[in-house]
Amino acid sequence: MRILVIEDEKKLSDLIARALRAERYAVDVAYDGHAAWQMIETYEYDLVILDLMLPGLDGAEILRRTRRRNHHLPILILTALDATDEKVRHFDAGADDYLTKPFAFAELLVRVKALMRRGPVSRASVVRVADLEIDRLSQQVRRAGRKIELTAKEYALLEYLATNPGRVFSRTMIIEHVWDQSFEGLTNIVDVYVRHLRTKVDDPFATKLIRTVRGAGYYLGEGAEQ
Amino acid sequence: MNTRSLSFRLVAWYAGLLVLVFLLLGAVMFAVVASDLQASMRNDQMRRAQQIADTLLKGISHSDESTLATSVEDLYAPETNDRFIRITRGDGTVLFESHASRNPRIASEVPPLRQLPASPFWREVRLPEGGSLGIGTVIHQSSNGTRYAVEVGARTAPIDAALGRLLAALATGLPLAVAIAVIGGFLLVRRSLVPMERIARKAEDITQHNLSERLPVERTGDELERLTLSLNRMISRLEEAVQGSKRLVADASHELRTPLTVMRGELESMAADPQTSRRTREMLASLMEEVERLAAVVDGLLALSRLDTGEASAAWVKFDLAELVATTADQMSLLAEDRSISVACDAPQHVIVEGNRARLKQVIVNLLDNAIKYTQKGGTVRLKVASQNGQPTLEVSDTGIGIPPEAVPHVFERFYRVERSRSREQGGAGLGLSIVKSICAAHGAAVEVESTPDQGSRFRIRFPLSAPEIEQPNLPRGAA
Repeated sequence: MRILVIEDEKKLSDLIARALRAERYAVDVAYDGHAAWQMIETYEYDLVILDLMLPGLDGAEILRRTRRRNHHLPILILTALDATDEKVRHFDAGADDYLTKPFAFAELLVRVKALMRRGPVSRASVVRVADLEIDRLSQQVRRAGRKIELTAKEYALLEYLATNPGRVFSRTMIIEHVWDQSFEGLTNIVDVYVRHLRTKVDDPFATKLIRTVRGAGYYLGEGAEQ
Repeated sequence: MNTRSLSFRLVAWYAGLLVLVFLLLGAVMFAVVASDLQASMRNDQMRRAQQIADTLLKGISHSDESTLATSVEDLYAPETNDRFIRITRGDGTVLFESHASRNPRIASEVPPLRQLPASPFWREVRLPEGGSLGIGTVIHQSSNGTRYAVEVGARTAPIDAALGRLLAALATGLPLAVAIAVIGGFLLVRRSLVPMERIARKAEDITQHNLSERLPVERTGDELERLTLSLNRMISRLEEAVQGSKRLVADASHELRTPLTVMRGELESMAADPQTSRRTREMLASLMEEVERLAAVVDGLLALSRLDTGEASAAWVKFDLAELVATTADQMSLLAEDRSISVACDAPQHVIVEGNRARLKQVIVNLLDNAIKYTQKGGTVRLKVASQNGQPTLEVSDTGIGIPPEAVPHVFERFYRVERSRSREQGGAGLGLSIVKSICAAHGAAVEVESTPDQGSRFRIRFPLSAPEIEQPNLPRGAA
């Protein structure tokens, strides 16, 4: 699996490359638009991570050219602009996904994985984490065989954490998926919901499954607190 | 017809001037023609009188006087020519008088000369049947010293009639000419103002979203072309300004967010390293929290500057404010519950507002978040949506700690904090209320605050009058 990272900020591109290599991907890095376009023309990539503001050719132009040449190459856009119409424009131009800076690397990795899988994700209807069971079809949650009643938001939060057990989800990621952008950066809403979720899912049991990583976010899983 | 319109005023001025010019012209023409006609008649009579004097009275003696009448009758036939002729001797004896037999009244109206004047003269005598008689008189002195006066007169009626016809022609012709000129002028003005209407309509259509468009320029070389070019240059300057500030937002976003991403990534990877000690991990976590806060401030600032450039008018829809408030309050209810604060939502009926739904939701979130943050355990937060005389209003009131009076005018300022310590601990960036105000401004809504310390605050937003119809009457609750 080969990924091309196009980002002119050397520190950031190296960081992304490092994070992706740690996940055992082969990573190439391009620091300007012309070099990037040459590499796309020369090599076969499985994914392109593209910053929009670039010296030389800009990101939008690379996106356009790439789409004309190869319809299936997944392209993940990194950008500093978070206006909705901006996002819509790039999706229209053929971007497959979109991440706004500053993003959590955990989120980047989740998105990369999703894009590399290509096509619809085959998800099991029942997710198990230790003795916790989440049935996506009936939206029922059981732990150690006992049924747990959750509100709609609590369920959505738990289900989201369960999409990738062991992976840390930042508050921003959680807000974007479970609520909407209006709540971003303003409230401790995630913490409050997680606390409520804990009283139902964790408090009656010895093993705590909903874990906090201070400064980073939450994850679902067993093991020592990070 | 709009009496203030340019075309009406131009044509009115033009018509007024035209009437004045035509009246002057008519008067001058009438005066010139009248005096010409009168002068030619006068010359005519004087010349005839002189002729009679020269031919018939030359070398006349007393004996010839008896034949004078016959000679005049033969030569000048005054009756046939409807002319008045009278010859008077110096001593007052009338030697000849025309019309004497046929129409004595004319002659009798002309009093005989009592004394012969020294030089030729002209006079007019009114006739009882109407009109007047113009009479020219010349004096002849015969060789023996006897003086004679020859009077020749003609009716002025033909001149009066001619002048009457001229007056009639002017009286009908001038208004007609003015009418034609006014109608023609109106059509011309209208025609030359049609492009103006077009320019105005096109200019109306240009908003901040299509500033790249320009008014169509017709290469006519006239003032309208100049106006269009000036307007286009103005639009260009506006476009540059808007683009400049958009570029600034884009550049600032890039320049601020990229380093934040790097910081966050480095911190994350350090924290993920199993070699990192517990103490370092604590420090990293604290750093990450600060990075998060910085990112939130950058988000808020950029959102504000985008609102200033007028971005909010994108995605403009009509929707039910009551429904949006109820859903949002529901989504945030756990926040309140967590602090044992009860949230009362008083939104009994549909209140339709027009605007950007996501932005207005942010307004509700920010106000509600603030209200919950600054209300003690067991307090109440009240949301009220109503329509007062067709004006949608939203009220968020709480029973919280309130705002000191000296701070009230400043709460909407960027980065303003009532107490430096209090909201930092709550995790705010100090931009929430500024964003509320900017979004309201973009929607033409007014936001105001009343507060009593230790009793609570009330934020009220008044939207502009909106269309009363309900376009989305059955939005499912909790759709957002």
